[in-house]
Amino acid sequence: MKKPELLPGTLDMLILKTLTRAPLHGYGIAQSIKRLSDDVLTVEEGSLYPALQRLLLQGWVKAEWKMTDTNRRARFYTLTAAGRKQLGLEVSQFEEMITAIGRVLSDAQEA
Amino acid sequence: MTFLNKLLLMFRRNRFDSELEEEMTFHRVQAEKEFVSAGMDCEEARYAAMRQFGNGVRVKEQSREVIGFRAETVLHDLRYAIRQLLASPGFTVVILLTLALAIGANTAIFSVINGVLLKRLPYEQPDRLMRIFLSSADYPKFELNPFDFLDFRARNHSFESMAAFTRGDVQLSGDGEPERLYGLGITSGYFRVLGLHPQQGREFDFAAEIPGNGLQAIISDRLWRTRFGADPGIIGRKITLNTQPFTVIGVMPAGTVHPGNVYHSLPYGEDVDIWWPFSFAGDPNRRGSHFIEGIARLKNNVTEAQAQGEMNAIMTQLGREHPNNDTGWNVLVIPLYSEVVGPTRPLLLMLLGAVIIVLLIACANAANLLLARASSRQREIAVRLAMGAPRSRVIRQLLTESLLISFLGGALGLATAFSGVKALVALLPSDFPRAQDIHVSAPVLAFTILVTLATGILFGLAPAFQAAGADPKDGLQKGGRTTTGTGRQRRLRDALVVAEVGLACVLLIGAGLMLRSLLNQLRLDPGFQRVHVLTANLSLPHAVYKGDEQVGRFADQLAANLNMLPGVVSAGVGTDLPWTGYDENAGGFTIEGKKPPAGGEDFHARYHMATPDYFTALGIPLIAGRFFTEADKRDAPQTVIINRTMAAKYWPGEDALGKRMTFEDHPKSDKDWITIVGVVGDVKDQPNSPAAKTAFWLPMLQTVWSSDVSVVIRAQSDPRLLIDALRNQVHRLDPTLAVADVQLMDQIVDSSVSTPRFAFALVGLFAGLAIVLAGVGTYGVISYSVSQRTPELGIRMALGALRSDVMRLVLSHAAKLAGLGTALGVIAAFFLARLLKSLVFEVSTYDPATFASVAGMVVLVALLAGYIPALRATATDPVNALRSE
Repeated sequence: MKKPELLPGTLDMLILKTLTRAPLHGYGIAQSIKRLSDDVLTVEEGSLYPALQRLLLQGWVKAEWKMTDTNRRARFYTLTAAGRKQLGLEVSQFEEMITAIGRVLSDAQEA
Repeated sequence: MTFLNKLLLMFRRNRFDSELEEEMTFHRVQAEKEFVSAGMDCEEARYAAMRQFGNGVRVKEQSREVIGFRAETVLHDLRYAIRQLLASPGFTVVILLTLALAIGANTAIFSVINGVLLKRLPYEQPDRLMRIFLSSADYPKFELNPFDFLDFRARNHSFESMAAFTRGDVQLSGDGEPERLYGLGITSGYFRVLGLHPQQGREFDFAAEIPGNGLQAIISDRLWRTRFGADPGIIGRKITLNTQPFTVIGVMPAGTVHPGNVYHSLPYGEDVDIWWPFSFAGDPNRRGSHFIEGIARLKNNVTEAQAQGEMNAIMTQLGREHPNNDTGWNVLVIPLYSEVVGPTRPLLLMLLGAVIIVLLIACANAANLLLARASSRQREIAVRLAMGAPRSRVIRQLLTESLLISFLGGALGLATAFSGVKALVALLPSDFPRAQDIHVSAPVLAFTILVTLATGILFGLAPAFQAAGADPKDGLQKGGRTTTGTGRQRRLRDALVVAEVGLACVLLIGAGLMLRSLLNQLRLDPGFQRVHVLTANLSLPHAVYKGDEQVGRFADQLAANLNMLPGVVSAGVGTDLPWTGYDENAGGFTIEGKKPPAGGEDFHARYHMATPDYFTALGIPLIAGRFFTEADKRDAPQTVIINRTMAAKYWPGEDALGKRMTFEDHPKSDKDWITIVGVVGDVKDQPNSPAAKTAFWLPMLQTVWSSDVSVVIRAQSDPRLLIDALRNQVHRLDPTLAVADVQLMDQIVDSSVSTPRFAFALVGLFAGLAIVLAGVGTYGVISYSVSQRTPELGIRMALGALRSDVMRLVLSHAAKLAGLGTALGVIAAFFLARLLKSLVFEVSTYDPATFASVAGMVVLVALLAGYIPALRATATDPVNALRSE
């Protein structure tokens, strides 16, 4: 079965959200999204890294090189204050849209 | 913020790349570990991780694009394109040269069109300026009578202002050599109509129009500076014009441009140096003579048609008031713009069409060259696509290349155009309006940039889409071998060549028609003999030469003196010269015993006056009777010589000799009748006039009607040797006279064909360029197809095909393209040729000889272009050909 694709425009929001708990490296972000969504959402590496560059540019995340538990060098991304604000904005917009879509769908079922 | 970050990243591009690389490696290693812990062996896990990660190059490319500026990719493309061009210099030179010539030609022609047709005339609101003429059944465009003009000016409500003017050159004497100046007699308000203002002083007021108040003058900036040393006290100063004292009341600024006139025409832009007040002398009820021209400024809320209607209504009123003179006329209101540039428009549009065709051919050529290269670069592009380059990126890359080519070509073309425009202006016919307005100016530059851009996109689009549409699999599978190109691609290339050949064919047919009409005009019998003839003009001031008698005596004496000079075969004086902007004069007369022709037309003819040797000096042949002699003098019976057309028209089937005519309305005695003593050959008004008009000559000793005379001298050898002698003879009779417009009849005749020569030279040049380009294009396509088919030809030859078979195979390809192109070209030319109707002379625009010879020539050139690669094909060694597979 083909996995459902990520809703367009939601990747940035998901990345920002996973970073609210703790700083993560790219692989960690991908794994985290996969795990939290019960394997429903997979993040293509082809979109993950360009997206991370975009977030860096906007100043919503910061990156620094640190050592992992297994003692390897990796780039860890941290949410910035601006990123937190952006996340709030995107989440509220997203919820608004979901509610709206839900309303349309439930209306269609009743009819 | 984003911009700043991007800027910072620009200086750390290497670090960005290495960090990204490390991050991605880390990611892959982590994934690999995951797979191993899930129970895969190492090898398997590595591949799975790589597969999962996907195209690393692409990830990097996309990440880089996020942080990069858009301009950076353009710069990158540009660098790449320059490398590509440098890699194949032959290709680059051919394509750049082609485009430079085509864009240069377009720029040059557009400079002319911009300067002549598009640029505003140098007057205030020039689109409101109208010229006013009369028109009747006999005279489609005629000058105004002064008293009619006064009524027009007083009665109309359509025009803000209206003025009249007439050519009247004057002789300036006083300090230094007498000089004849181009001059205009103008009514009050002439400059106000044009929206021009004197830089010093003022213009004539209405009082100046009253006879006796006319000794005032306005002079040009040029005259003020050269002749009067820019005298600050020039206003009020007296100067000697035509031996009379005139007071300078105004100086016009530099750039006061003459709007052009019809009566004794001076073309638009010619330097008029002096303006004198036109005065309305004579009986306002006699309105038969027409010699002034109207110009007026339309009110802002009035249309041309409304003005035309009102003027016609006024003319009808005048017809009722003056039934003898003012009936049968309509008023013509013509925008000044059409009057000035109208006649040049068909020629310029034809030239524009010609250069656009050249440009299209150049585009087709460039597209073909790029297509050929694109197919040899197919592998490169396939690799890029396989590595994950998006198609849009490849298209952008290829378009960058073609735009680079077109802009380099455009820059070279612009350089060509700068010198081209100079050459073009030098080549322009002498009477071409606004030649001094032709420059490579800002609008021209804008045009060139636009054309260059369009060119680059036009010829780059096909190859770009073709290449980007390629399937990377195909390109890679064929490995290092050259590909034959798909059928679609071959068809596209063939179609481009067919189009090129067809377009070249159209241009060549145009050039052929221009050549034929030029030849027709050169071959024309002018009706006089042009070689060894010197001419000059004199104007005899009224103050000294008060009447016909004085002018006649002067002319007679001058002719007699000139005839005695050594080296002179024959010398005469007349009132005009053939083909020199002759005005449409028409003398009406009565013929003894004949009723005027039906339909309101009267007997009329061009009138001239001449001394006895005028005809032999010009070489106008005598057909019957005799020339004038010294006996045809003042108190002798009046005589006249008529031309062949007049004899045939008014005395059909009769002998005109001895018949009598008169200008008197009520001839009383024999003294009033003029006897025809000779019939001479026809001379047309202009070399390309459809037919000669009726004309007659009166002996200068009896009648003159003019104070401007022309001298004609036929010399034994080079007539230029007689110029000084002519000056001396004139000054011996009258030292105050200026000898003006000294030129050879040869020059007059040459300048009369300057327009058809110009048209042929340019269209011929462009057609030559077109056929060379089409030839190169055909050569390119055939030789490309031969090189692609080398293995096939090798197999054919190995299987026993003769060299002649191979030759025929290749040539038939060329012939097919050429034949189809020519056929299409001939059909297109058939429809386009009618647009040239006003530009050709005595040749049908469907001239079968031209069409046939051009078609033959085009096919021949195309076969020649195919012959060289065909020869190469027959030289193919079958063994090598097969091995190259």
